[in-house]
Amino acid sequence: MRLEAVGKRYGLRQPWIVRHVTIDVAAGTLIRLEGRNGSGKSTLLRIAAGALLPSAGRVTGRPHAGYVPERFPSGLTFSAREYLRHMSRIHGLAGPAGLAAVDEWLERLGATEYAAAPLRTLSKGMCQKVAIAQALLSKPGLLVLDEAWTGLDQAARGELDAAVRERIAAGGTVMYVDHDPARLASDVAERWQLDDGEVTVRTGAATPAGTVPVDRTVIVELAGVEPSSLPRLESLPGVVSVAGDRAVGEHQAVTVTVVGQHCDAVLRELLRWDGVHVRAVRP
Amino acid sequence: MIALLRYQFGVLFRSHRWILPMIGYALLLAVGGAAGAAAATGPVRQSLTSGLDWSAAILVPVVAVLTRSMLTAEPGAARACIATASSPSRAQLATLITAFAAGAALGLAGAGYELLTSSHKAGLLAPLVTGLGTTLICALVGSAVGTLVNPPLIQHRAVALLCTIAAVILAWVARISPANAALRGNGALVHSSAWPTGLPLAAALVAVVAAWTASCWLAGRRGE
Repeated sequence: MRLEAVGKRYGLRQPWIVRHVTIDVAAGTLIRLEGRNGSGKSTLLRIAAGALLPSAGRVTGRPHAGYVPERFPSGLTFSAREYLRHMSRIHGLAGPAGLAAVDEWLERLGATEYAAAPLRTLSKGMCQKVAIAQALLSKPGLLVLDEAWTGLDQAARGELDAAVRERIAAGGTVMYVDHDPARLASDVAERWQLDDGEVTVRTGAATPAGTVPVDRTVIVELAGVEPSSLPRLESLPGVVSVAGDRAVGEHQAVTVTVVGQHCDAVLRELLRWDGVHVRAVRP
Repeated sequence: MIALLRYQFGVLFRSHRWILPMIGYALLLAVGGAAGAAAATGPVRQSLTSGLDWSAAILVPVVAVLTRSMLTAEPGAARACIATASSPSRAQLATLITAFAAGAALGLAGAGYELLTSSHKAGLLAPLVTGLGTTLICALVGSAVGTLVNPPLIQHRAVALLCTIAAVILAWVARISPANAALRGNGALVHSSAWPTGLPLAAALVAVVAAWTASCWLAGRRGE
């Protein structure tokens, strides 16, 4: 696949969101798009997927694509299974093969028990699973994921990671944006840095600046952790150990050891927990 | 395209977005029937020809509203998924065809209603053929109007609404409009000497093709 002088603006008097992007995309590569908010990541992803047409330039040699949007707030009245059945047909999977693919992905993502419920009654995470399933049904040669991991439970995140690796192994291309710098970090072949709509391509899975090397651990001291949430704390990705006297008091000080690579994600998660305060972070 | 159409018909029926246009159409049909009966002298029932003209003319706003319903039925994210799986313009075309087909089906039902309630002393076949031609033309005009005044051509909701009203009124009152000829009744649209045979249909087809082309071209070029 090749992007040729691709540019995008949403109207003649609007600013260019993406400009002069010329890149050859090799098959079998995992590409991570990086850049601050509004740098054009989502727009470039949509153009690559073919959901959006560029205002300038063109995309050639695009394989069959699957696209997972950032949010899938479905106002649709289909049930999850009906919607996926329609999507499998539109993706060109007719008959029993389509049905089998729908059931396979509902199962893999842990959404089978909600398959008959109307999409509009589903939770955000469950809708996200449906959005992921529709993109993966046809085993696309190009998979485009816009923050697809957001809102998923742990098991589904692992399943999506696995699905991405399967696509790469099968010679497909996967492009993604995710807020977690550790996401698929060791598999990334190219990183596209977007700055004001222009792209700088870097190869390899180099650790982004500002994160702690993978092999080190970081100690996080917390206050105000309820004993009932200790198992949840232990189950966070990258948490090596949790030290604290479980018997004492309702709220307590806890020392958590985290793998450096996951430190940011763990801290971000902890800041959302009610009553929990981060007192110190030290190497 | 078949898969896209199946999906779009699913969206239409499951979202119940067809109910409001259908109720509106049924009300207008009933009003027209009552007005026709009141105006008719001698026999109480109006003639089949003018009944069919009425059922066709009121199809213009109904198809325009159906088209808007369909163009705005899907959330943007769902549209992007469909566009990726097919292409933005094909997805758009399927949406427009669905709205038109649903409108044409309503038009057929309306013609059936007129057939049952009007008097057909002047014969059955000729007025029916003329009326169905008028129905098709008005459905096409309604689709062209609905396509031109809604996203992606007109994105702003209030502007789209005002333009819909203006365009429908224009389609009804402008002497050049096929819908106007239909409203004037007596099969004027198809029989009038001012309209060479086939010209209204050709004009309506051209209008629809132009509107649909513009809409499909813009789909995927404009953001939400």
